[in-house]
Parts: sequence; structure tokens; C-alpha cells
Amino acid sequence: MKATGLNQDLLRAAVEEFPADEFSAARSSAVAKLAGVGFPTVGDEDWKYTNLGLAAEISNGWLKTIIANHGAIAEQSNSEQVAMICQEIDAHWIIIQNGIIASDSLAELDGQAGSGISLSKLEFADKDDADDDAMSLFNVALLRDGLRITARANATTDKPIGILLADSPSSAVTQTRIVIDVGDNAHLRVVEYNLSVDPGRQFTNSVVQANLASGATVDHVRIQNRADDHVGVNKVTVNLDRDASYNHNSFDLGGALTRNDVITKIAGKGAAVNLNGLYLATGTQHIDNHTSILHLVGPSTSEEEYRGILAGSSQCVFNGKVIVSPGADGTDSRQSNHNLLLSDRAEIDTKPELEIYADDVKCAHGATVGQLDETALFYLRTRGLGMDEARKMITRAFAAGTLSTLAVTECQDHLAKVLDQRLDNLIGDGQ
Amino acid sequence: MSTDPNDLESLVNRRYEHGFVTDIESETLPPGLNEDVIRAISARKKEPEFMLDWRLKAYRHWLTLQEPEWAHVHYPQIDYQDISYFSAPKSDDDRPKSLDEVDPKLLETYEKLGIPLHERARLAGVAVDAVFDSVSVATTFKDKLHDAGVIFCPFSEAVIKHPDLVKKYLGSVVPHRDNFFAALNSAVFTDGSFVYIPKGVRCPMELSTYFRINAANTGQFERTLIVAEEGSHVSYLEGCTAPMRDENQLHAAVVELVAMKDAEIKYSTVQNWYPGDENGKGGIYNFVTKRGDCRGDNSRISWTQVETGSAITWKYPSCILRGENSVGEFYSVAVTNNMQQADTGTKMIHIGKNSSSTIVSKGISAGRAQQSYRGLVKVMPQADGARNHTQCDSLLIGKNCGAHTFPYMEVKNPSAKVEHEATTSRISENQLFYCRQRGISEEDAVNMIVNGFCKEVFKELPMEFAVEAQALLNVSLEGAVG
Repeated sequence: MKATGLNQDLLRAAVEEFPADEFSAARSSAVAKLAGVGFPTVGDEDWKYTNLGLAAEISNGWLKTIIANHGAIAEQSNSEQVAMICQEIDAHWIIIQNGIIASDSLAELDGQAGSGISLSKLEFADKDDADDDAMSLFNVALLRDGLRITARANATTDKPIGILLADSPSSAVTQTRIVIDVGDNAHLRVVEYNLSVDPGRQFTNSVVQANLASGATVDHVRIQNRADDHVGVNKVTVNLDRDASYNHNSFDLGGALTRNDVITKIAGKGAAVNLNGLYLATGTQHIDNHTSILHLVGPSTSEEEYRGILAGSSQCVFNGKVIVSPGADGTDSRQSNHNLLLSDRAEIDTKPELEIYADDVKCAHGATVGQLDETALFYLRTRGLGMDEARKMITRAFAAGTLSTLAVTECQDHLAKVLDQRLDNLIGDGQ
Repeated sequence: MSTDPNDLESLVNRRYEHGFVTDIESETLPPGLNEDVIRAISARKKEPEFMLDWRLKAYRHWLTLQEPEWAHVHYPQIDYQDISYFSAPKSDDDRPKSLDEVDPKLLETYEKLGIPLHERARLAGVAVDAVFDSVSVATTFKDKLHDAGVIFCPFSEAVIKHPDLVKKYLGSVVPHRDNFFAALNSAVFTDGSFVYIPKGVRCPMELSTYFRINAANTGQFERTLIVAEEGSHVSYLEGCTAPMRDENQLHAAVVELVAMKDAEIKYSTVQNWYPGDENGKGGIYNFVTKRGDCRGDNSRISWTQVETGSAITWKYPSCILRGENSVGEFYSVAVTNNMQQADTGTKMIHIGKNSSSTIVSKGISAGRAQQSYRGLVKVMPQADGARNHTQCDSLLIGKNCGAHTFPYMEVKNPSAKVEHEATTSRISENQLFYCRQRGISEEDAVNMIVNGFCKEVFKELPMEFAVEAQALLNVSLEGAVG
């Protein structure tokens, strides 16, 4: 049986219906490039465990609607959830609804977020700066808006910049694109919140590009708390120059199918990459984290730790790749992935990869898959804790480590709260 | 901390020791592959009908397959019509009855290889089934094995003498449709070893085969099948070398192991095929499918390999852990130097309850070599209590080599415990300095450190092999240190 693929004819016809704007040229060039490629399939090594059939199905349906409505895309209004998140996490919030920036939030913030920080609508330059992978091309092919954050040299912010992707199935397919340019020695803290405003089938595809100049630092917290029917494909690419550092914390809590690609390139000496992730899955959730750290030069360091807790019939995938290029001597890289399986129907597929082409390096990686430690449970039981409570305590402790490395402390309380709720569900499902 | 560059060069330029051609008449089929060639091979080996049918089935399936490209290796396209699929020493019709009748030139060859058949074999208590370009020329210690009820003979003989056993087990672990190279092997394999250990028998000695590719332009497609019945035990050694030639030669072997209840198979390989010269010219393409099936409860299959040769290695000795409490082990040392490429590892498929597996892989990469560990640990939903530990370390020597790790773990059972650890580093300056300070030359110091790095694997090898492996390792790495 052939899985549903993206219908290229529908895509071409729909894009032609889009009103002309500054993205027109980029869109048609992306459509042309995508023509011979299509969505990746499980036959592609990088997509071995993740089937985008549902994403293609949602896309094809939506493209038909777009053609019928001559390019018009349904608008949506703010929801209570959005207000709540903005209140609970103290940040300069930019709301992006179904890929379109709420223009008032941008105008208000520009100039206020901190001296040297500017926020603007993305303008596609003459060159098409999208990567040539299928999902990035799809992102450009249907792009209508984008955000650019620029931090000039030595700029800092008093509060983190919050980017709230508030997507609603009123538009079943959404593309979001964010470009972040950070100047020499500037320090930018970003909270990216992925939210579903209403339940229902939706496919969102986001691309975030960050370029870090010498000595720049970006702390990037990504919280994904989507609705049960949500399909999300997210790609983050980061380029680091000399002594730059990029700290990434991701929390994947919801969604039916989530695929994250975090691709970092270390192009300057002394640069450092820290990737941390936590994924919690239950029911039939599918969460796939692919990370790639490319050390083009050394000395440079990278550290990565992803943790997962799986209940129900969920499936999670971790693929962490570290590549040390020829000549990148002095690379120090550590990578680990730990998984806790709470149910006999859950599946974890993990693959920590190393590709090393230089000899003066220290690289280590590790992966574990296991269950709650019987001895630890027994110990807690002897102290008078009930079975449920003991299980919760150990599971929480397993997850808690990822909160302690959080670079943007403003979201700590909110995260602790949602994690707690989510863990309660998981432990309930795990039995 | 580096040796004189001139010394280095002379060391790097060391010639391959086993590179000589034995000049004996051999009967070779012209290059090319079609159904007639397969019929000719089968006819020449006087095979029963079922074998020919099986070969043809495999060939027809092979025609539908694409050569795999996923491995982290690069080589020019192989022209499968340019290979001769059969090469046998001429005296095929009147095969020697004893060692005295063996062509003295052949014996001389083995002498050079360091495996004198009669003397050392007897001393070491090793029975050798020597495969010389596809046809087994001499088998020793047959009587002693016969008394124990053990069948150890060339595959072609087993096909004629024990067709029922061959029919029952051939392709039961590696089916003829398994993969591109296994299908090719199934169609054209010319010989190999067949081992059958009856119920409750502990094989009285270690069995050994020595493979060698001699004629130019011939591919070696041997097939080994080892069946260990309930409660039996066998240890099998395999060594390989090939003469030096400019062109690349293909070696696509298949090894199938079947371990029934409480049976144990230990399979050790020391592979030293010609690796090509320092510019990557020539050398063996070693594309091998090895798989063991722990069919019965409490069965155990252990793979130990020392891979130092071949221009390209593509090899994943695997275990299917079907039986409850079955055990799979994989111990590997792979050394790549100059332009060698190796993509090797293992697969452990946990199906039986409480099955456990251990993977220890030590990779050493030097020169401009590229080496990858590729492994899969799969725990099926029914494999309660499955346990795996994987340790895979790489040592890099030199600026231009590469070491890669691609470990897949697929776990579908919550009571499973799977652990993977890997490190990559170069030889520590501190360790080297310490040894040098004690008056040990740099070369010796590196050998010492490398041997220490590989110790966990060497201790799994049978004693005679462990000594040989250590020596081989030193030879392979000579000139790699700077």
C-alpha cells in the first residue's frame, strides 16, 4: 500500500491563488524545487520511524480548500490560553497566529524589548535562503509571513522574548518562519511556545534560523504543548561563529505527531552548543527528535542530553548526530539519551550517532532504555509511600533534571506546572 | 612526540606479508554470470537437484535486487559479469585422500601463511578444513571427530552425503532472499564448511577453516553452516588471507549458525584479507552475511572477530535470540589503516524472554581509513526481561582517519534494559609519555596501549588465535603512529 503523498498539482494550483506579495518569487521557486522531491517517506533513512502520511493528507485537503476560496485563509482570534501563557511567563510576547504575526504585538515591542534589539517582518532577500530539504521547501512554498529578530552587537534584553505560535485548525496547515540574527557579544533569550488554540486536526511546519556572531549567546526554550490531533514538523538551524554559545531546552508534551530537527553548525573556535530535551508521550503520541551537531572547527564543545518518558502505546524516536569535520581538533562532545518505558505497548527507537574525521577529539555518547528501578520503588515503599506516589516521585525525579538546566528561568514555574499535570496523566496511563 | 618522518614512511610502505600467488593449475569458469554458469557450478559439484533449484531461485531473486548503498563506504561499481564464479585446483576428480597426496605447492602456501596443516594442527589439536579457492583440499582429524559423531566436512561433500541435513537447515537463518550479497552467494557459492554437532556432544577439539583467495579475477563465495543440536557445544575458528593483486576482488560469504536448546556455538574470525596498497589500489571487498539463530532455550551464540584486512568490510554478524534465556555475544576488534574502509557491527534481535546480549566493539582507525560501527539492538514486545549492554569504543590514530558510530536501538518492551556507551578518542599523550619515560619506544608503547584497548575482545579468542591476533594487530598498525 502506498502512503499518501503530497499532491503537487494541488500545491501548485493553491500557491497560484495566493495574493502577490514579497514572498511570491520565493514561493514559486520552492514549489518548483519541491516538484521532484515531495514529502519524505519512511524509506528515507532520516524518516525511518516517522510517517508523514497524515501531514500529507491534511495538506492535500487544505490545499483544496485554498483553491476553492481563491487563496483566502481563515483568520482567528485570541484565546484565553494565549492570555494565560503571556501572564504566567514574564516575557516580551510576540503572537504569531497560524503563521501570521499579530502586527500590533510587533509594533508595540519593537524598540522596547531592549536597546539594540529590533523586531520586524521577514523580508526574503533576492537569494532564497531556505535549506533544500523537503519540509523547508514546503515551508517557503506556502509562506505568507515571517519574523526577523535582530540583536545588534552587545545587546541584551531585560526579559526574554516570547514567541507564541498560537495555531488553530481554522487553518489546517500553517507555516511559520523565524530568523534570528545576533551580533557580536549580544545575549538573546527566547521562549518559543507552540500552542494549539483549539482542538482539531492541524499540521504546522515551522522553520527557525539563528545566526550567532562572535561571542553571541542565545538561550532558546521551546515548549510544545499542542492538542491531541496536532501534527507538527519543526526545524531549527543554528550557525555559530567564534566563542558563540547556543543553549537549547525543548519540552515536547503534546501533539499526535511531532518531529523536531535541531541542526547546529559550529563554524568558529571556542563555540559551544548545549542541547537539552524532555519528551513525554502517552496514548498514541509520536515524538521524534533529530539533532545534529556539526563541529567544523575546534576547539569547540557540545553537550546534549535528551530524556523521555513513554506511556500508553506511544512511540518516541531520538536520533542524535555529532559530526566532527576533518581538522576540527580539540572537539569535546558528550551526548546522552535516557528513556523510561512505563507501558508494555510503548516503543522507543534511539540512535546516538558519531561521525568523526579528526583525531584530537573527545567524544562520548550513551543511551539507555529502562523502567522504574524496583529497588528505588521498594525503598520508598518501606518509607511508607503508596505505590502510586512512589512511582510518581521517581518518574518526576527522572524528568526534573531537565528543568535544572533551564537557561530562561522565567518559564520555570509555568513548566513545572504543566509538566506535573502531564506526568500525572502518564503515570496513570502507565499502569 | 613524533618519530622521524622517514622511518614512518618506510613503515607505512611495509609490504603485505601474505602477498604471494601460488602457481598451480586451476580450472576456472570464464567470467560472467547467468543461469548456465550456475548450472555449470552445480553440475561440476555433482549436486542433487534440490541444490540447483535453490541456487536458481536465489539467482532469479538476486536479479530483482539493488546493490545496497546505505553503508558508509565508497567503491567503484562492481561489474558482476566480470567475475569468474568458479575456480578449483585442477585435480578435482581425484582428490587427495590424505595430506601426503596434497600438491606440495599447496602445502607450501599454508606454510607461508603460518598454518602448517599436519605439524601445528596436531600439536594445537586443531582440525583444519582448508578452503583453497573454493574447493576444500584437505581435512584433518576427521576420524577423531567421526568417533564423536561430529560432522565436519566441506559443504559440497555435505550436500552429497548429508542432503537431508543440508535441506533442513540451509537458508533457514539467512534465506536466499535475505539481501543482495546473500542472494548472490546462494546462487553461486562453491564451497565452505558444514558442521553438525549431535545432541549432547561437546566437540572434542576446536574446528578451524582457513580461507584464501588465490586466482585472479575470482570471487570467493563460500558458505558455512553450523548446526548445534540440543546440549552440544562447538568452537569454530576462521581465518582468511588473500594474495596481493592490483584489482579488487569480491568476497561475499554467508555463515549460518543454528543453536538448539542448551547448545553453544562460539565462532571466532581472524580476517586478514589483502587490504590494498597505501593508495587504496587493490584489496578485497569483504561483503559478508553472518547470522546465528539461538533457536532453543538457554542457547548461546558468541561471535568474536578480529578484522584487520580487506579494502572494504561490510559485515554484521548477528544473533536472533529466539529461545528463552538465550544469550548473544559480539566481540569485535576492527583495525583500518591506509585507505581501508570498514562498516561493521552486529544485530541483536531479542524475541525470547530474558534473552540477553553483550556487544563490545573496539575500532581502531589510522592513516586515511574510515571505520563505522553499525549496530541494531531490537527488543520485541514479547521479550520480557531482555537485557543488552553495548560498549563501543574507537581509537583514532592520525589526522586523516575517521571513526563513526551508528547504533540503532528499538525497544518495544518496558521490562527491557538496554544500554549503549561509546567513546572516541586518540591515544592519550599522558599514557604515551608515561611509557616513553619508562624507556619503551613509541612504537612499542602504542602497541601496548592498543593491545590494552582491545584486551576485552582478545580474551574472548581461543588461546592460539589470541596470540596471532595480537601479532596481526601490531603488524597492521605499524607505521600508523606519528
